[in-house]
Amino acid sequence: MGDSAYSFSLTTFSRTGKLLQIEYALNAVANGRTALGICAQDGVVIATDKKLPSVLVDPEHVQKIEKITPKAGFCYAGVGPDYRVLVKRSRKSSQSYLSEYGEVQPVHQLVTDTASTMQEYTQRGGVRPFGISLLVAGLDSDGKPALFQVDPSGSYFGWNATAIGKNYVSAKNFLEKRWTEDMELEDAIHTALLTLREGFEGEMTAHNIELGIVKKDGEFQVLQPSQIQDYLDEAN
Amino acid sequence: MTAGSQMNANNLHEPAAGFDFSNYLRNQNLLQTDGAAPKLKAKKTGTTIVGTVYAGGVVLGADTRATNDTEVAERNCEKIHYIAPNMYCCGAGTAADTENTTALISRQLELLRMDTARPSRLVTAVTLLKRMLFRYQGHVSAALVLGGCDLQGPHIYQIYPHGSTAKLPYTSMGSGSLAAMAVLESSWQENMTEDMAVQLVQRAIGAGIFNDLGSGSNCDICIIKTDGTVDYRRNAVKPNELAPLRAQVQRSGRLNMRPGLTPIIKSEFKPHPVVAAGGETAMEVE
Repeated sequence: MGDSAYSFSLTTFSRTGKLLQIEYALNAVANGRTALGICAQDGVVIATDKKLPSVLVDPEHVQKIEKITPKAGFCYAGVGPDYRVLVKRSRKSSQSYLSEYGEVQPVHQLVTDTASTMQEYTQRGGVRPFGISLLVAGLDSDGKPALFQVDPSGSYFGWNATAIGKNYVSAKNFLEKRWTEDMELEDAIHTALLTLREGFEGEMTAHNIELGIVKKDGEFQVLQPSQIQDYLDEAN
Repeated sequence: MTAGSQMNANNLHEPAAGFDFSNYLRNQNLLQTDGAAPKLKAKKTGTTIVGTVYAGGVVLGADTRATNDTEVAERNCEKIHYIAPNMYCCGAGTAADTENTTALISRQLELLRMDTARPSRLVTAVTLLKRMLFRYQGHVSAALVLGGCDLQGPHIYQIYPHGSTAKLPYTSMGSGSLAAMAVLESSWQENMTEDMAVQLVQRAIGAGIFNDLGSGSNCDICIIKTDGTVDYRRNAVKPNELAPLRAQVQRSGRLNMRPGLTPIIKSEFKPHPVVAAGGETAMEVE
């Protein structure tokens, strides 16, 4: 009995004041492949484990890090199809922002917009929450780099460095020891790769991870495997 | 909320399929009232716009005068609009229509580029533009010359306000199009070099600037090359500079008096008394 009796409907609080569907969504996230991000003083890097279930899967068609605006990108942990829906929606809404205000949507507005969509799915009838946590890397309107996490409940957090998905606890401990305030983007990329490798099952190559960066005055870009290989070679 | 639209899941109005004629009766009524209602005069661009293909890409050209009937509303406006990193569009007709139409299609193409992870193609832009313009049955007064380079090579398209399009090696639109076309028809050749193409476009726009009242001021040029680089030359040619003409006007010396010409006989300084909110003078100064 207890809490689980209230877990059937999203829009019903349990006696202890929890929305169990959201808790369960967070479980789905914790089952997802690790994703992490580090905010340096001159840019942000997000990275994820792209380990594919079988050698037969064509990695070219799997993309986890996606550009949303010229200055921001997403990465996720959790249920892939839910991510696709959010990516499409956020892209469209940032074009609306561009149309209305004549400027690229700053990362903070993008985060609150996306978080607000995710919250909507915890209160409307007939839907379930998104089974993903997002990492948003981007620049805000004065060019300052920022990293955010958005959860299935719709709450969002700004981070200096964080990790989500499997092994996020040990990854976060690792990052806590390594993050410094005067870190530069190149160091951050290096640290991100080291952190990813900590919890990686098997050998980490340029083809089974993804890296996305945005530099202070630049555009968000997903790195090519050849670029990742250069960083991996440096790290060895 | 018009009768022919519905709300979708995102609370945005979507047009119902087909045409929406709900304003037709209202428009008929307006025209029949006594002393028929004056039609809104939109700011038009007059305009000469030109586009041509050459050996290494395309060259687009435009004049820079915007008119409101016979008045020049803007002497140096920009008529070459960004559509995509590899595509630009010259616009003639109503200024607001050309700007907003090109901006809308530019945003749609950006979404498509992110979804498909591929550079945009000219045919996509042309199709999006013509479908939208046809839907508005010519009421969106945008006559466009779209040019750019994609994986299939360099292309120039002309798009009319009612939604018809043509793919051509060179073209001109706007009120100065005849003057420009006269130049193009006499001098255009296949496989021109970049310099030849730029010279040709400048002469064609120049013909519009000097022979058409709706076009004038300067010439803007945009070169889009097959290797993906873009050379946007704002005010590439300025044959109508005003500064030398203004300098020739003899004005009375008395309009330009330097400080210090008037001798000061006596000076006295009295600060204004500060009155507090209650109405009483808070500070009296001797």
